Amino acid sequence: MRMRKREWLFAALPVLILLALALPVAVGFQQRAGAVTAKVVDSANAFLATLSATERTKCTFGFTSPQRTGWSNFPTGIFQRNGMRFGDMTPEQRKAALSLVAAALSREGYQKVTDIMNGDEVLKNTGGGRTGGRPGGGPGGRPGGGPGGGLRFGLDEYYIALLGTPSTTAPWMIQFGGHHLAINVTVVGANSVMTPSLPAAQPAKYTLNGQTIRPLGHENDKGFALINALNAAQLKRAVLSYKVTDLVLGPGNDGKVIQPEGILASELDAGQQALLLDVAHEWVGILNDEAAAAKMAEIKANLPQTYFAWSGATKNGGLAYYRIQGPTLVIEYAPQQGDIDHIHTIYRDPTNDYGAKFVRP
Amino acid sequence: MNRLFAVLGCLAMVPAANAHRLDEYLQATRISIDITRVDLEIDLTPGVALASKVFGWIDTNRDGEISNAEGEAYAREMLGSVVLKVDDWPAAVKLVEASFPQFSDMSEGVGTIRLRATTSVPAAGPGRHQVSFLNMHRSEASVYLVNALVPANRRIQLGVGRRDTAQHGLTLEYTIGTDASSDPAFALLVALAMAGCLLLRHGHALRA
Repeated sequence: MRMRKREWLFAALPVLILLALALPVAVGFQQRAGAVTAKVVDSANAFLATLSATERTKCTFGFTSPQRTGWSNFPTGIFQRNGMRFGDMTPEQRKAALSLVAAALSREGYQKVTDIMNGDEVLKNTGGGRTGGRPGGGPGGRPGGGPGGGLRFGLDEYYIALLGTPSTTAPWMIQFGGHHLAINVTVVGANSVMTPSLPAAQPAKYTLNGQTIRPLGHENDKGFALINALNAAQLKRAVLSYKVTDLVLGPGNDGKVIQPEGILASELDAGQQALLLDVAHEWVGILNDEAAAAKMAEIKANLPQTYFAWSGATKNGGLAYYRIQGPTLVIEYAPQQGDIDHIHTIYRDPTNDYGAKFVRP
Repeated sequence: MNRLFAVLGCLAMVPAANAHRLDEYLQATRISIDITRVDLEIDLTPGVALASKVFGWIDTNRDGEISNAEGEAYAREMLGSVVLKVDDWPAAVKLVEASFPQFSDMSEGVGTIRLRATTSVPAAGPGRHQVSFLNMHRSEASVYLVNALVPANRRIQLGVGRRDTAQHGLTLEYTIGTDASSDPAFALLVALAMAGCLLLRHGHALRA
């Protein structure tokens, strides 16, 4: 019997050693994530400090208020956002608001957000704001529209709102968005969650100060790289036999889970799986590095139950829709109205939208 | 903060851009299957160029407003273009709810008509079943999406779906499990019983 105990101890020794090694790593990770939260809280408080009492009232909401799900990708004029409008801010307030967004996101994520916003300014300056015309006139003899349309685009039309009180322990949320952008970051202690969020782009390619900008260029190119890495049998599984003309789970579809389609990641080889993870990281990695790393680990663990579906052309430059769907992930990439220069995407976690896993009711 | 506020000036020309749906009537359907019912969520979004036309289909007295009666009549007309079959039997689709946007939203290509409908089906027994959905409403200018939602009822497992290229329709196989086998408590009980058997066998082997 004693021998058996000793054998058991020998058998358990590697596990104990592994635990002893893993513990400091886990603790270190939590500490780093906690430091990020502290920085985001400081940035939020710094932003709030720039606001008057009236502006604070306009900009802050209860954590569980309807404002939480009241986001959209539509421009001002169609959808009325709440919160502080960039066009109404002083330069100091704008700087503080953007610092807060930058603190919550990764460097690359913040760049993507600014590229999307600059794209909307391009849209405004090239007539996009006047193309919501209404040919054919309105009903009942009312004005039919035409140029004008009441839509407002550009950098001034982005809004920021805070839900709950910035805290390193209690849940709160940053809501930032405007046309073609909805970023919802829920912070609960050391955890940050960025689902649901909607990064989009129109134009999908523009030139700024001599530089070509493609806000969602990686999402496009990495998607095409993945589909072109599949063999014939895999393509047969991944490519849907029908057209997908829009997001299936766009705004207003919180909590819905559709039947997954396409090829299972378990049917991909290691290289292809790496490409798939790299595509997913384009959305996950918008959030700060610590939170993104935790989410990527979860997605990697769920790869055997994750699907990749494609509809449309497989040659880069063509019109194509794709979807990545796993137990804790939905990503959709959808060109709009047959136009590769107008892309909508959505990033969801049906199990953890708005940090549901971390927020105790 | 880099490029953010540097965008004014130096802008290259981009193609004429439109923010929203233009000349298509997007009809997106989500199908939810349960043992005794099938529910439909149908969202209809006319593009900018079609807004007046679609509004005209609904606002039949041309007074510029959609009355309850006009809305309901249009919703019924739309559902009349839908064919839903469960195990090859045509099912009568009943309107549950309909909401209509303002014309101003429709005219910007962002106003969505939301219809909720349901059909009762005789309680299906365990085994394989099939639901088929076909939507031919205003097909001359429409684009379609149709998807099945993962059932809330754990007894139902969705199988393979088949669609036409334009997604007018979806035919979907599904399986209904027996009550007990899909009950997590039952599954846990079976697992515990199996573990007990294994332990007993292992004990016997050690003693031998």
